This record gives sequence, C-alpha cells and structure tokens, in this order.
Amino acid sequence: MIQIKNLSKSYNKGKIKAVDNLSLHVRPGEIFGFLGPNGAGKTTTIKMMVGLLNPDEGSIVINGFDIRKQPLEAKKSIGYVPDNPDVYDRLTGIEYLNFMADVYRTPLSIRKERIKYYLEMFNLEDAAHDLIKSYSHGMKQKIVLTGALIHDPAVWILDEPLVGLDPKAAHLLKEQMRRHCDKGNTVFFSTHILEVAEKICDRIGIISKGRLIAIGTMEELRQGDRAESLESIFLELTEQ
Amino acid sequence: MKTFWTLVKTNLNVNFGISALKYRFTREKKKRWEPVLIAVGLIVGLVPLLVLYTFMMLGVFNAGKYLNQPEMVLAVAFIFAQLFVLFLGIFYMMGAFYFSKDLHILIPLPLKPYQVLGSKFVAVMVNEYLTVLPLLLPPIIIYGTGTGGGVLYWLKGLLLMLATPVIPLILSSLFIVILMRFINIKKNKDLLAIVGGFIGLFIILGSNLFLQRIPEGDEQEFIKGFLIKQSGLIEEIGRKFPPGLWATYGLARPGLEGLGYFALFMVVSAALFAVLMWLGDRIFYRGLLSGQEVARRRRSLSEEEASRRYGRVSSPVSAIFRREWKLFLRTPVYVLNGLSGPIIGPFMLVFMLAAQGQSEEAKEIFTFLEKPEFALPVSLGGLGLMLFTAGMNVVASTALSREGQTFWIAKMIPVAPRHQVLGKLLHAFLISAFGVVVTGIMLVAFLGFSVIRTAVLLVLGLMGSMLLASLGLLTDVMHPKLDWNTPQEAMKQNVNGLFGMLLTLLIMALLGGLAALLIILNAPEWMVYVGLGIATAAMTVLSLVALFSAAERQYGKYEA
Repeated sequence: MIQIKNLSKSYNKGKIKAVDNLSLHVRPGEIFGFLGPNGAGKTTTIKMMVGLLNPDEGSIVINGFDIRKQPLEAKKSIGYVPDNPDVYDRLTGIEYLNFMADVYRTPLSIRKERIKYYLEMFNLEDAAHDLIKSYSHGMKQKIVLTGALIHDPAVWILDEPLVGLDPKAAHLLKEQMRRHCDKGNTVFFSTHILEVAEKICDRIGIISKGRLIAIGTMEELRQGDRAESLESIFLELTEQ
Repeated sequence: MKTFWTLVKTNLNVNFGISALKYRFTREKKKRWEPVLIAVGLIVGLVPLLVLYTFMMLGVFNAGKYLNQPEMVLAVAFIFAQLFVLFLGIFYMMGAFYFSKDLHILIPLPLKPYQVLGSKFVAVMVNEYLTVLPLLLPPIIIYGTGTGGGVLYWLKGLLLMLATPVIPLILSSLFIVILMRFINIKKNKDLLAIVGGFIGLFIILGSNLFLQRIPEGDEQEFIKGFLIKQSGLIEEIGRKFPPGLWATYGLARPGLEGLGYFALFMVVSAALFAVLMWLGDRIFYRGLLSGQEVARRRRSLSEEEASRRYGRVSSPVSAIFRREWKLFLRTPVYVLNGLSGPIIGPFMLVFMLAAQGQSEEAKEIFTFLEKPEFALPVSLGGLGLMLFTAGMNVVASTALSREGQTFWIAKMIPVAPRHQVLGKLLHAFLISAFGVVVTGIMLVAFLGFSVIRTAVLLVLGLMGSMLLASLGLLTDVMHPKLDWNTPQEAMKQNVNGLFGMLLTLLIMALLGGLAALLIILNAPEWMVYVGLGIATAAMTVLSLVALFSAAERQYGKYEA
C-alpha cells in the first residue's frame, strides 16, 4: 500500500538532511505508527508522501501509484490530515466538506451518508453551518479529518491526528482507524503519544535525525526483552 | 520605549519579509535571482512612469515660475501625496489594526494598546514611503535645483518628506478606530468593514467632485484661469486640507516664516500622533476584541435543509470557481480592492460626467464626439476605457497568492493544477467582464453608441479581459506570495498586483499601436476591429497555453 524507497530530502544545500535515505513498506491492513523526537523528519516524510514537498531522491508509491509520476491517481487514494490544519476560514464547515467532496468527485449519495456519519460521530452537526473561523482547534481538526475521509480513501496519512481531539473523539478515531485497516486498507500516522502507538499500531517505525532507526512490531522492537515499554525503547534508541 | 521599538522592529521585519529575504539569500541560494529579478522588473516598469511624472512636475514648475509662483509644484505634490495616503490609509489601517493574524499573539502579551497600535502604525507608514517618496522626490529636487535651495532647504525637504504620511495616516487611523469602536457589531463585522471602506471611498470621491466643480468655464478659460489664479486654487484645496500647504510654505518661504510653517507641520503631526496613541489606548482594544469574536449560530438544520445544502455535486473546476467567489466575497479587503476598479471606476466616470454634463460646454463636447467622423477614435477610446476598468484590479494577479497558508490543500487535492487555475481564471475574468459591461452601458448612455458598435466593442473588451486576466494570473502563478499574515498583504502589498497593472498598460499600448497603424494604412473601420480581434485572440491563446503549462510546472515546484 505504501512503498517508500531511498527517500532523501535536505535543506540548506544539502547541509541539513531532514530525511536521509529512508525506506519502508506498509502493507494492506496495517496501522503503522511513525514515531520520533521533534525535528526528526516525521512531518517532512509525511509531506513528501502526500506530494506537498518534493524529495531530492527516492520514490514513494501509494496504492500502486508513484506520487511524483502519477500524482492525481495517488492523491485520490490518500486521505491526509496535516499536523496544524490551516483551512479556509471563511467557508462554513459544510461548504468545506462539499468542496472536498467535489474535488474528490464523491457521488451525492455517498457524500451525504459520510458527511452525516462523521458530523454525528464528531458531534459537529450544530457547528457545520458556521464559518470555520469560529471553530476551536479541535473542531478544525475534526472538520479536516472529515474532509480527508469523505472520499473513503484506501490510505490514511495522518500527522498527529490525536492532538486537539477530545477523549471521546480520539477514542472514536482510533476505532475508525482499526476498522479501516480491518477492511484491508492502511493507516500511516505520526504521534508523540507512545501509549497509543503501543496499543493500536500493528507496526512501528522510529525516525531520528532523518534516519529510520527501528521498524517492526512491538515484539520485534523489544527483541525478546519483555519488560521494556515502548517509552524506554524510544528513549534508548533516540538518544544514541 | 524599548518595548515599543522591539515591536516596531518585529513588525517591520514581518512586513517586509526581511528575515525571509535574508534566509533566501544566505540559505536558499538557488532562489537568489528572484528578488533581483523583481527589482529589475519594477525598475523597468516604473521608471518610465517616474520619468513621465518628473516631466509633468517640471512643466508645473515652469508654469509656476512664469507666474512668479514657483512653489506651485511643491503644493501640488504635497497635496496630491497626502490625499493619496489618506485614501490608501483607510484600507491599510483597517487591515493592520483589525485583520492581521498576529493580533492574537500580541493581545495576550503585556503590552499597552497604544504600543500595539503605534507599532502597526509605524509599519504601515514605512510602507507608505514606497508611494510617497517617488511622488515627492522629483518635485522637491526640481524646486530645490530650480531655485537654488540651500542646505536648510534640503534638510527641511528630507524631514517633511518623511513626515508627509503621518497626518493623513492618522486621520485614516482615527476614522477606522472610531468606526470600529462604535459601529462594530460583532456579527456583521465583515459587512461593516466593507461598508465602512466604501463610505470612506465615497467621502473622498465626493470631496473630489466638490473640488472639481470649483473652476467653471470652458477649457481655454479654465487653463488660463488656472494659471492666473493658481495660487488661489491651491489655497482653495489647501484650505480643505491645509497640511499640504504648510509643508509647501515650510519649504518655499524664506527665513523665519518658512521655519514657522515647517514647525507647524511637524508639531501638528506629532500632536495628532499623540492624540491617536491616547485615544488608541482607550478604545483600540475594545473595538479589536469585539472584532475577534466571530458569531456562531450553533443551530442544527432540519433534515431537509441540510440535504439541500449538500445536495449539489459539481465538477472540480466549478467547485474551485465557487470557492474562489465565496472566499473573495467574504474577505473585506479582497472585495474592496477587487471590486473598486471595475465598479468604482465606471461610477466615478458617471459622477464626473453627470457633474459636468449639464454645462453647455460639456454638451458641445458630447455632440462633437458623436460626429460620424470621430466614431472610430471615440470607439477605440471606449474600448481602451473598457480594458482599463477590466485590467486595473488585482484579482487575477493575486489569485494564487491569496491561498497563502491554505496552499497545502491545492497541493493535496487530486485536481490538475491547470484545472485549479482555470477555476481562478473564470473568477477573475467574471469580475473584469463586469467592468467591461458597465463601461459599455455607460458608453451607450452618454455617447449614444449604436447597438452594433457597442456589441463589437463588448466582444473585443471581453476578449481583452480574458487576455488580461490570464496574463495577471500567469504573473502570480510564476511567483506567488504565499507567505502572508493579513489578507491585505496578499493583495495590496503584493508586487504581482503592480505587474498585472503594468501588463494591462502594455497590452493597451500594443493594441493602441496596432489600431493606429491600421488607421494610418487607411484600413476601413471594420478592418481595424477585425485586426484588433485577431491580435487579441492570438495573444489570449498564447497566454492561456503559457498559463496552463506554467501551472502544471510551478504547482509541482512550490512546496507547502
């Protein structure tokens, strides 16, 4: 579902390597957690995956489509939520969702059903007709999530999706992620909440200074040493 | 005071993108050529205008000298510059005081309201120098060299020039601050901002109209009268807005009298600034805070109503077109700047024609213009007017810039860049087309153009607006300004807007040249129109092809 090969991106004429020769493969049916300290290259990687940044080297294939060579097809398979969503403040929630549904060419019956479903789930029905300008951070997060999932994309790419969500919404989103993957789809998300990663991820990748320093299931990361929590593994790995 | 200067420095830094520029020069060396190219483009575009202006001012100076009133050139320049700043100030100040995004960072800081207000004021003032200096420098130099001004003259000139934006900007600030304090009802903030802006505009238009009506008489008389009574006229304008005269006398009058006027100008500027700060400390935050609140209705719609709202499916292009309209109409700065060209322009003309239309002389001019032998040049003039109203707006040339922080959405959605650009193009074209049609109606109403003639002109005008819109959009696609804090910056402080307008002038010059050539070659009237049509169509096709391929290329390049 997601195939990243030898991905590199540097700033400042190659002096700062934001992402350094990163390769990973996320399979269908998998929730993949992407962890790393601040500034490790998580968001840069994610932005390259969805086509917001151009890699210096390497390739990214999403659902069989290369994001550089077949950007429109690849983007149709992606539902992306950025870490700090800046959306059209002067549209109402429902106008934004309709815009998203239009650009993803979502048929009327499906869009109605999904909008209703997510607005109910996120408790946004009453706010949907207000300008997004009036929303709180969490509400913005919810409307962006809804917009990103409206076309039922196979691959969800979520950058810190749980930040700003209330506990109930966070819980529901996690359930949705599981359900989505159980249907054979893929979720790729970054997070700082290690407990969440430990609990819901099928596999975890840890990135530090642009390099992927560990990847695998919780068991594989523990390497037999059963007592270790993800937190201690994370601290140990990223401090090297 | 230290806090104040820190704020001013930060504001200036953000306003002019100094750190960003530095970063670009030291880190992103590949993009170094961009600012250089912009500077070169600006020089190439603006120098001819500046030269033209300088010659005009030289003419005014010589006329004034002939009549023993050489300071006329200074008076004209100071009054013009100050009125100009007064007019622009209303928009700039509204944006800086009430719509900038950094306000939510500044309000919680332990700062006095006057510090925030003052620092924003200084940033706008420095920005105004970009328009004031080119307006004032030539006349001051002309007068100084022409009359042999001493060191004191140049020193006073420099200080007066720097102080020129202060009084008009304070007047617009006071207007805005008081307006926002008393009329700002939370719910209708945006609407009121627009209405307030238009009220300001009409006040200025109205006073213009009033000033215009002062000299009456036919053209010869008028020029003679103007030259003889010039100081009278200048004093007339000066009485309505005296600071311009103080500056003039401060520079031109000898000895103590000059120094007195100079001091008067400076003291009044400083005093008004103090008033603004004092008042700002009392009412600025109140208006601002109520402005930060956004009305939320929080009501659920009935099933039926809700399904009507999301019951329409449209193509991506039309979805983008409709998004452009909504965002445009709901952002006061965009409406004011985007619509003032195509709407206010023609209406200003109506006002002027209506104001002067009753006089015998004007009627004579109209009958003169309606003579058959003048049909072609008058029509071409009408076409020029159409293109001018169509092109003198920045809707197309800031279309991509306006996306700003939301540009990531454009990168993320599965819609080809050329289709996204098409949606924007249609939006910009429609606004320009509005100007063309309104101008067309006016030509019919005032000059009695025939239906066929008007139809031909409309077709050419609409084709021309498509050309202008696509060229403007191309400019923005090649070099968008996506990094901004207030919508104001995206539109008014965006060099692409200026480039778009310069392109309009260039296209008008090209078409005018072609028409002149055809007329010189004795081509019949219809052939002139056909020639213009073919030329416009060819340029439009070329520019559209360039636009769409540039969109595909550039959208991929820009990172979000």
